[in-house]
Amino acid sequence: MPESLATVVIAELEELLGSQSVLHAPVDRIAYSYDGTFAQHLPDVVVLPQTNEEVASVVRVAARHDVPILPRGMGSGLAGGTLPIRGGIVLSLTRMKRILEIDEENMTATAEAGIVTADLQAEVEKRGLFYPPDPSSIKQSTIGGNVACNAGGPRCLKYGVTGDYVMGMTVILADGRLLKTGGKAIKNVTGLNINQLFVGSEGTLGIITEVILRLISKPPHVRTALVQFPALETAGEAVHAVLKQGLVPATMELLDETAIECIEEAMHLGLPLDVEAILLIETDGPHEDVVIREIDAIAAICLETGASRVDVARSEEERADLWRARRSVSPALARRAPNKLGEDITVPRSAIPEAIRRIKAISARYGLPVVVFGHAGDGNLHPNVLFDRRDPEQLAKVEPMVGDIFQMALDLGGTLSGEHGIGTFKLPYVHAALGSVSVDIQRRIKQALDPQNILNPGKVLPEG
Amino acid sequence: MTIELGFMCAGDTNDRLETDGARSREGTCVSEGHLAAEDARQCVRCGLCLATCPSYRESLVETDSPRARVALVQALEEGRIDAPLDGFANAFYRCLLCGACTFTCPSGVAVDRVLELTRGDLADEGLLPPALSDLDDRISRYRNISAEPNEGRLIWADNLPSPPTGLGKKQAEVAYFVGCVGSFFPRSYKVPQSFVQIIDRAGVDYALLGGAEWCCGYPMFINGELESARDLMGHNVEAVRALGASKVVTTCPSCFYFWKQSYPAALGTGDLGIEVQHATEFLADLLEAGAVPLREVRKDVTYHDPCDLGRKGGVTEAPRRIIAQIPGVRLLEMAENRESSYCCGGGGNLETYAPELVKAVSRSRIQQVVDTGAGTVVSACQQCERTLASAARAERVRVRVQDITELVLEAMGRRGRCLSRWRLS
Repeated sequence: MPESLATVVIAELEELLGSQSVLHAPVDRIAYSYDGTFAQHLPDVVVLPQTNEEVASVVRVAARHDVPILPRGMGSGLAGGTLPIRGGIVLSLTRMKRILEIDEENMTATAEAGIVTADLQAEVEKRGLFYPPDPSSIKQSTIGGNVACNAGGPRCLKYGVTGDYVMGMTVILADGRLLKTGGKAIKNVTGLNINQLFVGSEGTLGIITEVILRLISKPPHVRTALVQFPALETAGEAVHAVLKQGLVPATMELLDETAIECIEEAMHLGLPLDVEAILLIETDGPHEDVVIREIDAIAAICLETGASRVDVARSEEERADLWRARRSVSPALARRAPNKLGEDITVPRSAIPEAIRRIKAISARYGLPVVVFGHAGDGNLHPNVLFDRRDPEQLAKVEPMVGDIFQMALDLGGTLSGEHGIGTFKLPYVHAALGSVSVDIQRRIKQALDPQNILNPGKVLPEG
Repeated sequence: MTIELGFMCAGDTNDRLETDGARSREGTCVSEGHLAAEDARQCVRCGLCLATCPSYRESLVETDSPRARVALVQALEEGRIDAPLDGFANAFYRCLLCGACTFTCPSGVAVDRVLELTRGDLADEGLLPPALSDLDDRISRYRNISAEPNEGRLIWADNLPSPPTGLGKKQAEVAYFVGCVGSFFPRSYKVPQSFVQIIDRAGVDYALLGGAEWCCGYPMFINGELESARDLMGHNVEAVRALGASKVVTTCPSCFYFWKQSYPAALGTGDLGIEVQHATEFLADLLEAGAVPLREVRKDVTYHDPCDLGRKGGVTEAPRRIIAQIPGVRLLEMAENRESSYCCGGGGNLETYAPELVKAVSRSRIQQVVDTGAGTVVSACQQCERTLASAARAERVRVRVQDITELVLEAMGRRGRCLSRWRLS
């Protein structure tokens, strides 16, 4: 925004929140210019409100001066969703991190948006309860961010995604009004499902400040198997074969050989370096014998389908190491190339082997490495293009490559994003994925809720 | 196309920052930034470091995070900022140097090197914050951090039941390097007092350096003034050599870490020819060899891993071996322990520079102590103990803070009149 306007806006914000909660020094603006990608845009000012009233007052300032306002958690998003591409106010929710209530009887948790997801999980688990969604960024992302992007994670195969656990929320609307959606009632068909409208809206429809989450009982028994596949494609086939048998493991995580190598370099866990893929499969449940029988049955199917070896973790420590490894895979790729673009396509499950084949073909065609890992059980793959952005030749290839990957996913009946969201990076492909009628309806919804287009403008939907 | 936004960096007006009075890039801060930038380049901005960084976890402001520090170095290198900005140095000194980010980073970014190189450049450019440059001046002048006459380093030995055998020795197998805090901070006297009583009991042939011991140089190094630190380092090595000692043992984890990690390279000697051990390593071996008889002490303790000793120095098991040697003591671990230990708040000269952050970090750590249910937190660092004791007092929690040497002394049945314990409630 123009400097004169910025000065006025900053003065008003300082008046409302106090100067401790309003940052606009150059170093602060740089610190809030990025997310979990390599892109960056400077905000004009950053605010750190601590109450709904403060959030609402900041939104009113933005509305009065017609400047962009972007909610942000810990900035670990992978689609450019919190980048202030038009400057404006970045509203950090990290200081709104209280757990307001854990209702053990109704099995719900109510928390402010800025709580770190892992912290919330740990807190409910102390009471024998369980919040299943487990994005890899669980330690560096917030519940608000998870809801706003409808985050997934390995366990979503069995337990569903973040949105499946959101029962209600508090949202500050573009005009500063406070909206309460849903509640603790399990069945609720009173009015439209406004609750789910805000799930995955990436801060474009309102600012989520509190959420009511459904909890379940923590499954006391778990078995985790590391399954090795000499050929990548047979790993995809094994996933299909297991699920067809009616077995639903909690996770079926796929890692290709480069992903395995990068993790091994970072963590020295003794992962196999002579196979094309591994699957990390976990079964869990209330009865230990059933959990063991299931993992045994899955192991047998994998071996029949072409797996060369199955190892079941012998201790909680071994299991924790495997999951730490899985969660580290994306950043560990930096050991291979300084930059990466991680995509998030989803295809129908039966198309996984074909999708992997085509991704490898695209990689060969452009001559840039693509690492594939992801949640194979629900068809959600993360092809990561590795490159060095300082090399113009490599840089020029990235965008068309990613375009080809998106097109491939759509051709196979899939879609652009399973859990990262659209942000800014996937905007050019939204039309192709949704069709013009859907885009038109979604634009009208955005228009109705944010007529000034101040809430995270230029994200999720291509502007007409 | 929208995706191009991803590659926008230098040149875009929105991305370029200049401040009034900004100096030109040439010859200013981070002119050698290319080295730091080389390390920084590997950062993919996943943000995992935020989860482990004490500064960030307390302030919840991204500018206090390792990721932001790396981004600032990148911004400087890519020419998106022109010169040291308001707050640039601040971001690099509001860090406890606990090393959690470097340890955690799955991309392998040596954040510690980024900090070290950038701080070096900041100091070269005269951008060291005044509180910290005052500290360096004091050390240069007095050879210690306290601005006391350096000959007074052994004052703690005066009120022991009997003089330590290492006093005034000209030759010995082991040199005991006490460190500035143990030497000059009355509340920390108990650390060297306990240690010498244990090793005297075990009959160790050691010498105290007294006024020949100079500050190890670490406080200057972390302020970015390695050059000034070199004189001190060279002197200390010579002082130990003069004793004919084959081993230097220190109760201070920072002295230990610096002697071990930086002395050989900084002095260009490759191998010092002197074995460097922390007191916990030395004592663990002594106790396991049965050199000191220990009685039962019935209590529950937790152990706080000092960053310089554990995560950075690689010594996590020796203190636990010591605790295991004492009959009756039950060790209850904190949620974050060993390499994943949470800093006490006392690291990185932050006590001098940002005391409010120190308070916040130490408050969180003392809460982790309380959560274990142990009545005593044992550590192996006089600085951690000072910081944790202050936090315990401020938070009014009933936790005793004890150096591991004091715990051993307690198990020896010794409670010298000088050894006032901290009873905190």
